[in-house]
Amino acid sequence: MSSTFRCILCALVLSPLFAGCGKGEPVVKIGFVVPLTGDQAAHGMDMQRGAELALEQAQAKGPVLPGFKLELATLDDARNPAQAVSAAKRLAADGDVLAVVGHLNSSCTKPASAIYHEARLLHVNPVSSNPQISRQGFDTFFRICPTDDLQGPAGAHFAIQRLGAHRIFVLDDMTTYGRGLANEFLKAAQSTGAEILGHEGITQGEKDFTPVLTKIKGLNPDLIYFAGMFPEAALLLKQRFKLNLSARFLGGDGLFEPALIDLAGPGAAEGMYLTTLGGDIRQVPTAQEFVKAFEAKYGHLGAYSSYAYEGTNIALEAIRQAGRKDRQAVLTAMKQMKQYPGILGVHTFDAKGDTSIRTIGIYTVHSGKFEFVE
Amino acid sequence: MTPGELFLQQILNGLTIGAVYALIALGYTMVYGIIQLINFAHGEVFMLGSYMGLTVFLLAGTIGSGGVGWLLLALCTATVGCSLLGLAVERVAYRPLRQAPKLSVLITAIGVSFFLQNAVMLGYGAQDRYVPALLPAVRWGGGAVTVTPMQGVIFGVSLLLMVGLQGIVYGTRLGRNMRATAQDPLAARLMGISVDQVIAGTFAIGSALAGVGGLLFGVYYSTINFHDGYLVGLKAFTAAVMGGIGNLPGAMLGGLLLGLLEGLGAGYISSQWKNVIAFVVLILVLLLRPHGLLGERLSERA
Repeated sequence: MSSTFRCILCALVLSPLFAGCGKGEPVVKIGFVVPLTGDQAAHGMDMQRGAELALEQAQAKGPVLPGFKLELATLDDARNPAQAVSAAKRLAADGDVLAVVGHLNSSCTKPASAIYHEARLLHVNPVSSNPQISRQGFDTFFRICPTDDLQGPAGAHFAIQRLGAHRIFVLDDMTTYGRGLANEFLKAAQSTGAEILGHEGITQGEKDFTPVLTKIKGLNPDLIYFAGMFPEAALLLKQRFKLNLSARFLGGDGLFEPALIDLAGPGAAEGMYLTTLGGDIRQVPTAQEFVKAFEAKYGHLGAYSSYAYEGTNIALEAIRQAGRKDRQAVLTAMKQMKQYPGILGVHTFDAKGDTSIRTIGIYTVHSGKFEFVE
Repeated sequence: MTPGELFLQQILNGLTIGAVYALIALGYTMVYGIIQLINFAHGEVFMLGSYMGLTVFLLAGTIGSGGVGWLLLALCTATVGCSLLGLAVERVAYRPLRQAPKLSVLITAIGVSFFLQNAVMLGYGAQDRYVPALLPAVRWGGGAVTVTPMQGVIFGVSLLLMVGLQGIVYGTRLGRNMRATAQDPLAARLMGISVDQVIAGTFAIGSALAGVGGLLFGVYYSTINFHDGYLVGLKAFTAAVMGGIGNLPGAMLGGLLLGLLEGLGAGYISSQWKNVIAFVVLILVLLLRPHGLLGERLSERA
């Protein structure tokens, strides 16, 4: 390699380092972390759009913190707990970051919440529904979705009372979210008198679930409950169809993503049920303006877009009320916020940081589309 | 479902994924046999095979027809495309390092693997891609034991390719040169064999097999992702080691065996222990037969 070529190469590599220098205006940031690569990127991108819309609308109304430019520091955790922790450390080390909205997966939120707590950073969590996360005693943690100790029993109740299932096989994806939700479902189903034929885990990222489905077919259950995310659920549905397994299929909110129907194929997904965090957003009067604005800008509204939007708005409100660039002030403002009237309803946070909005919805797939049941 | 039917279904499940493992394992074992390189980029070639298939299917979608014709076209594209890719990788990344220490080539292979993964991520996006079903979604066998047409295609194509590979290795000039190079590259060169050409040929054939494996895998499971090559590649590598790395029938046996082990382990013990069971058996095989099931004790080359 000639020395001229080396010089040019070095200049090219180093140039981005200097690109940010020389801008005078002081900055404050809201950290935003979701999976933007990997198999759950579809959820993450829907959430990112919600957060961006919230910031854009807030800035259109005037500066949130006068004298500062407000930015969203978006990072990718690839639904990987290790990457979530390193993203959390980056945000904690950046003095411009005043609050964090984030993490989709409970397995990412749980370890990251400890880092935000240590850094005294306000952490607003949109959709990680594992109940254990808020029981760690972190005063920095606020969550705006209902938790799985509500979602699991709601699913069990629906399976037994409405679908008439008595013999149930439970599968989960062995993550914090999946295993936690499956256990909550199991507890509720057993106390209602259903017979649990088995409870097994599958590995995220794998593709072949025919062995365990064949085993389930041999046990002849009425219903398969799956606590996990949509990529694995799509494969389970498809392989259940291939194996001619007639048991009904019920899942949790991780399945609420239209890609599920595309990936499984409309025939294989038809007639499956799932529980969701919150009811039908289109029937919530306070959310209509948001739904209209979101769809005008991005088209399709994702399952978790509204939660990312709401979470970002709450972080913005705390920064606005704090009125200065200080993490502790933002945290104090958040704690003093008795109620927050959002698009999902009026949030009041309990001592653990969990919201008072506790609705669980039920959806089904009908004619290749999600349809609200109750 | 009777226990007998259940067992038969589990065997069919295991053999389907096992056939794919076997196709990929052949590429690992061929390259290892010739230049003692564990080609870590091989899993990525597999993954690219499924993406090449996807590209053909997307084209089929825009033209608006489906069916067996497109599946054949996709098979040809994956075969030719992946063998060209294998040739390119060998030419660009491995040939310049022919005289370098083995470790340098190994690290380069890992680099190539990252490069291909990220190139696909940038080109096709990070999300799961849906591969349309080209064959009718029917089940053969009614209620109890079921086989889909795609499973039939996987069995048929893999069997054909494995027999074909044996034909090439034991029946053609290239095959004879390959066996000679595997025994002793220096002596082969002295006998007038162009070792570089033989190595290139090995990469082309091995990559073509992985490409076909990738395509079949993509169509069968209907979702593909840019990091699929990692896990499946690792499993296929395991299969090659279990069968005896460097040994062609060993790779086929290892692949089918690993598929069966996973299927039966998940079906009869527990699906969350699926990988543990498969790898424990690998360890046991290596403890009892350090060179793999069909591997022979080779004298160390000076």
